[in-house]
Amino acid sequence: MINRRSLLAAAAASPIAFRAMAQSGAGGKTLTYGQSTAPLTLDPSHGSFSGYPAGYEAALCLYDRVLDFDAKMNIVPGIAESWTIAGDLMSATLKIRAGVKFHDGTACDADAVKFNLERLIDKQRTTTNRPLWDALATADVTDAHTVTIRLKTPFSQLPNSLAHGSAAMVSPAAVAKYGETGIAQNPIGAGPFRMVKFSPGQELLVEAFPDYWGGKPRTDQITFRYIAEAATRVSALRTGAVDVIDNVPVPLVAPLKSDPKIAVIAVPGLRPIGCVINLSRDKLKDVRVRQALNLAIPVETIAEKVFLGFARAPDSPLAFNTQGYHSVAKLKHDPAEAKALLAAAGFGPANKLSLTFNVPVGLFPNDVSVGEIVANALQQAGLDIQINKIEGAAYWETLRQDQANLKWDIAMFGFNPSNASGLYHLNSLFKSNADDAGKPDVWNVGRYRNAEVDALLTKANETAARAQQDALLGQAQDIIWKDAPYIWLQINENISAVRETVKDVEVWPIVFTNMRRAAG
Amino acid sequence: MIRHIAARLALIPVILFGVITLLFVIFKTIPGDEAALMAGATATQAEIDATRHQLGLDRPVLTQFTDRLLGLTHGDLGYSSTFRGNPLPRILERVPATLALTACAIGLTILVGIPAGAVAAALHDRWPDLAISSVVVAFLAVPNFFLGLMLIAAFSVELRWLPGFGFNGVLSLVMPSLALSARLIAVIARLTRGLMIEESRRNYVRTALAKGLSETRVLWKHVLRNALIPIITAIGLEAGYLLGGSVVVERLFAWPGIGDLLLNAVGVRDYSLVQGITILFVVGFLLINLLVEVLFVLANPRLRDA
Repeated sequence: MINRRSLLAAAAASPIAFRAMAQSGAGGKTLTYGQSTAPLTLDPSHGSFSGYPAGYEAALCLYDRVLDFDAKMNIVPGIAESWTIAGDLMSATLKIRAGVKFHDGTACDADAVKFNLERLIDKQRTTTNRPLWDALATADVTDAHTVTIRLKTPFSQLPNSLAHGSAAMVSPAAVAKYGETGIAQNPIGAGPFRMVKFSPGQELLVEAFPDYWGGKPRTDQITFRYIAEAATRVSALRTGAVDVIDNVPVPLVAPLKSDPKIAVIAVPGLRPIGCVINLSRDKLKDVRVRQALNLAIPVETIAEKVFLGFARAPDSPLAFNTQGYHSVAKLKHDPAEAKALLAAAGFGPANKLSLTFNVPVGLFPNDVSVGEIVANALQQAGLDIQINKIEGAAYWETLRQDQANLKWDIAMFGFNPSNASGLYHLNSLFKSNADDAGKPDVWNVGRYRNAEVDALLTKANETAARAQQDALLGQAQDIIWKDAPYIWLQINENISAVRETVKDVEVWPIVFTNMRRAAG
Repeated sequence: MIRHIAARLALIPVILFGVITLLFVIFKTIPGDEAALMAGATATQAEIDATRHQLGLDRPVLTQFTDRLLGLTHGDLGYSSTFRGNPLPRILERVPATLALTACAIGLTILVGIPAGAVAAALHDRWPDLAISSVVVAFLAVPNFFLGLMLIAAFSVELRWLPGFGFNGVLSLVMPSLALSARLIAVIARLTRGLMIEESRRNYVRTALAKGLSETRVLWKHVLRNALIPIITAIGLEAGYLLGGSVVVERLFAWPGIGDLLLNAVGVRDYSLVQGITILFVVGFLLINLLVEVLFVLANPRLRDA
């Protein structure tokens, strides 16, 4: 029977119960990470780690990769303690670290690396991340500690691919045991943490792997807990129920910063958001029109008012911290000049430029608000804008279509170079498609075509020395920026937050919050 | 009575067939290609086609449909791109959380809504009635999402009494079930109040009072009991909608139920997962309605022999 006394007793007892629950295992150094997305599958092959980015974040703890990134996305040794790439960029030799063990006790040796690389090269198994593995032909074991990779074409990004999340080494014995589908729920890697319990879509518990080659991790256990709603994640962090959260919406940053027990980590991302321009439309072929579109947008206002300063307008087709980034020119907001350029190109009140503008709902930060600002700014510059808001699941398909089926003149898009390479970024977005009429090869959905850029990118692919590669990429960025195949908008920061007692949580520029080296 | 229940149960497969057909048609017409989403953003057309073939989505539509139906008869929902296999176990493991939440919300509605309405009726037009009626209006007006946020801010962040997310013991049920049931509590309290006021003007009430029964006894024993029949019906009808509301509340409280799973499944066009969860929701809705009918008969002696 509920009476007033028992209610009071329950109310009095609950804070104790709750705090005990929140801090359970505090002595055993358990960290809880409240993720905005949930891991669903944990196999680098077969569609790779999903959901994004939670699957990759979990994989960073469970798996070691051939090479690794540090927090600044510099490439560092991983399971391969060293690597050499042939001068012609057609082959590479990996020295595999001795004594590396998978969580099932089997050795992560040259044979295991070969097995895994072949799994990634196999197109039947790996359709996602294809551009990262396309150039590889074979992987062979030359001795117990050496693997030689042969390439089909020169590929200077090979180290980036080997450090990329998908280069996670899976135990071949576990693949045999659980099968190609079972491994996705039974991840057996050689990373610093091994799986204890996995409820896909809800929770993943991992514990320190005692035989990890790199020594014992600094925390005993990590719980990845799915909390979709941002306000709930923030509340959970403030109460101490979780120690780390990702994807903090910008309006919630200020209240979090005022809490002395919480530290906010904001790291500029590598994904420039913009509106890709459909260059197969005659009305958009004049570069003056495309420059006018850029001049019409108040990019500083978007960064300041929509993202409260947690975003910056780009000054190059690449984001500021991408490998190979080169600053070209600051974006200007000048509606008068925009109108003048449009008039010069033959558009004005009598002959309005009319554009169909596709915007996704919920794929990019504040995509709908930004899209509406862009549409308004363009209307003020004298354009006629038809804005189409499209649900996330249907959006990619509308974007990556045969030329005849493109229903948009401009469309919001952003590419995240997940191997940190500017070359990968430019290749994916601005290299001419083999056939513009068909589906784009990668993400050149606007059908940009510039022979000079192609030549520079091909040369960069064949150039091993970073300085020379960067110089080539710099030239390519200059040309692309002038050609304006995009309306450039903003580069957002990735914002995570931690309890101030938690150290060394890394927020990578490519979105991932990395718990691998965290200490609680 | 038993014949009636049997007839109702026999109707469930028929309704399910309609729902599954409708769902199939909707999924075939809305934009968004499951094969393309699964093959990944950078897949070539050939790879997308290969994925489509693997999923069996390149077969004639009618074959796909009959295949789905046949699969369902032995518990095979088809290939879920989210979980890479039959999602049935993943759905079933989440059912208890949603059931607990819905049951708790209905319990709260009965325990809070009916007494609140009764008190308001007994003391109508006096201050307790006004107080209760104001809360009722507030509960009706505030969306459950917002109420949930406020509850978390107050009881989790400020007071630290209740856990702010997840399903972890009885305490964790308090806020989500309140957020979920607030509107229903208000509906039921208002209905109870109105019905009881109306009922208390009837002749038998005057007779009962005239023969010397106490006011309290008449109110709780006779008036409330007679008002109960439409209230049960209303709770039953509304309870079905709690299932819908649970989608939002589950997301807010990171509740490991099927509602949140449904939201994600729609986002990636995971047909087999959406189908499985929809079937569960439909069966749940139909069973609740059936239960209401049974309770209705039990509460109304005049219908028992009919």
